[in-house]
Amino acid sequence: MARSATVSQRTKIKRTAPRGFLRRVFKRYKPHLRLEARGDLLVHLSCLLFIRRLAEESRTNAYENKCSIINKDHVVDAAKVILKKSRG
Amino acid sequence: MADSPSPDSEPTTRTLLRRVLDTADVRSPRRRRSARNAIQRSVFETTSSRSLGSQTKTSVRRRSHGARSIGRLAHVQASAYLEKDTPRTLLKNILLTAPESSIMMPNPVVKLVPLSQVVQSYRRESSQGSLELQLPELDPPTTLGPGLPTSSRKKQRLRLSVFQQEVNQGLPLSQGEVPNFPYASFLFTRSLNLTFTTPLQPQSVRRPGLARRPPTRRAVDVGALLQDLQDNSVASAPPGDSLRIPVATQPTNIVLEDTQPFSQPLVSSFPSVHHSLPHPPHTGVEDAERTLDRRTWNSGLELQDHMSRTDYATTSSPISELQPPLPEVTEAAGSEEAVRVKELEGSSEDEDTSGEPASPELATSTPELLQLPPPPGVGVLPSEPLEPVPARLPSRPRAAGPRPYRDPYRTGLSHYVKLFSFHAKMPMEKKAVEMVERCLDKYFQNLCNDLEVFAAHAGRKTVKPEDLELLLRRQGLVTDEVSMHVLVEQHLPMEYRQLLIPCAFSGNSVFPAH
Repeated sequence: MARSATVSQRTKIKRTAPRGFLRRVFKRYKPHLRLEARGDLLVHLSCLLFIRRLAEESRTNAYENKCSIINKDHVVDAAKVILKKSRG
Repeated sequence: MADSPSPDSEPTTRTLLRRVLDTADVRSPRRRRSARNAIQRSVFETTSSRSLGSQTKTSVRRRSHGARSIGRLAHVQASAYLEKDTPRTLLKNILLTAPESSIMMPNPVVKLVPLSQVVQSYRRESSQGSLELQLPELDPPTTLGPGLPTSSRKKQRLRLSVFQQEVNQGLPLSQGEVPNFPYASFLFTRSLNLTFTTPLQPQSVRRPGLARRPPTRRAVDVGALLQDLQDNSVASAPPGDSLRIPVATQPTNIVLEDTQPFSQPLVSSFPSVHHSLPHPPHTGVEDAERTLDRRTWNSGLELQDHMSRTDYATTSSPISELQPPLPEVTEAAGSEEAVRVKELEGSSEDEDTSGEPASPELATSTPELLQLPPPPGVGVLPSEPLEPVPARLPSRPRAAGPRPYRDPYRTGLSHYVKLFSFHAKMPMEKKAVEMVERCLDKYFQNLCNDLEVFAAHAGRKTVKPEDLELLLRRQGLVTDEVSMHVLVEQHLPMEYRQLLIPCAFSGNSVFPAH
């Protein structure tokens, strides 16, 4: 299916969405708004996609700098690009 | 009415009752009704015939007599039918409510045998007044049952007493239903078995040790600790001896102690700690400590029941009988608590650094004493099995240091941070991880702002999935080629997929409804 179908034995990826956490975050930022039941799942989806893009970008940056470890600078540069992209 | 099936032939009461009811069903409602109708019809016929034919006194008398008898029968039947408290209805209720008895269980079979004998004896008597007399007869047969524990016997007695009360309230039992009574009682007891839960309190009263368990243990543990402390402070204890000796003494003490689960470790820890002392403390020190002991003991015991003191005395006495030096050592151990308190107040102990946070509370509450056994590590290996046992008591939780407080927002974000590290497939710095958290936070803020704008644009105050789809479209993730459903299918587990993507089901229904 997707790339993350095979998971290494060490890491255990939880696929459930932290729905309560997402609702609380939304309430914290926008208390006057309401979020629908299925809305937070889509928010989770958008977060997943954002993280994916961010990880790819930072990995590319690390490769370009010929580092085997992702540094803070790589992440910062990647975040600049991706946040601009997901501005909406 | 049905005496033909002997109760001894069938083992289960259920089958017996069924039989009884079936045989008693000769007088079924339908038949009754039909009988009544027949009676009514006959009455009408008689009246009609009377009016038609010539009336003679004899014929009238006969008919009236017959009508009266029929009427009486009908009345009886009607009354029986209308009466709520018939034994039949009672038994029916019993059958409904009583649990299905498994023939596998030996006990009910055993109980039934003596009951059947009682049934026959009861039949002979055949008087309602003998109900109360029957009960004491029922007692011995039930108690004679093999393998019946004492508690169950008492349960049965209690159950029977409850049944007796119910009987006294006036359950009408006709003589015709006599043979069913013992089974009813049996079933009552069995049904009562379910509802009548033996309270734990009487058991605890009967076995005082269970109730007094906590205080005794605590006192001893304190003594053991103090003993250990003194031993460490006064004389150097070779760990080898302390290791060997407690293990050796453990089984003997367990044997001598009565079979109470929590007094065992008490005893085992007791001599083990004492034997860990190669050199018994000074007698002079002991005397001085004895007075302190009593005070500490009293202070500790005052918190507990009065009975606990007696129990401790009883437990301590057999211990003293075992080994003469023990009483001195126990007192010394008890005194160690006071010494320890003083010491802790003054200076810090090497071993009991973990117990130190509990020290200021030692003087106030004895539950603290439970923490003392674990810290002293020298020669108290047998006390290790005690640790889970003390933990069972209501003791204050031992804090292994201040729990690192984590912002719940950070813990929630960590879910996505883990996903980031998974997708990156490369090791990351700690600073990089923090950076990711900040980026995620920023992204959330942007997300909420955008959603608010979209909802306001649609004139709504609730954010709907359409707004989310618009957001994804603007982000460039959803295009004309790639629809949102595709993304949902790719990245979300099936449970969420079912919720998000409308699917057609049988019966012309779509879930989720659009």
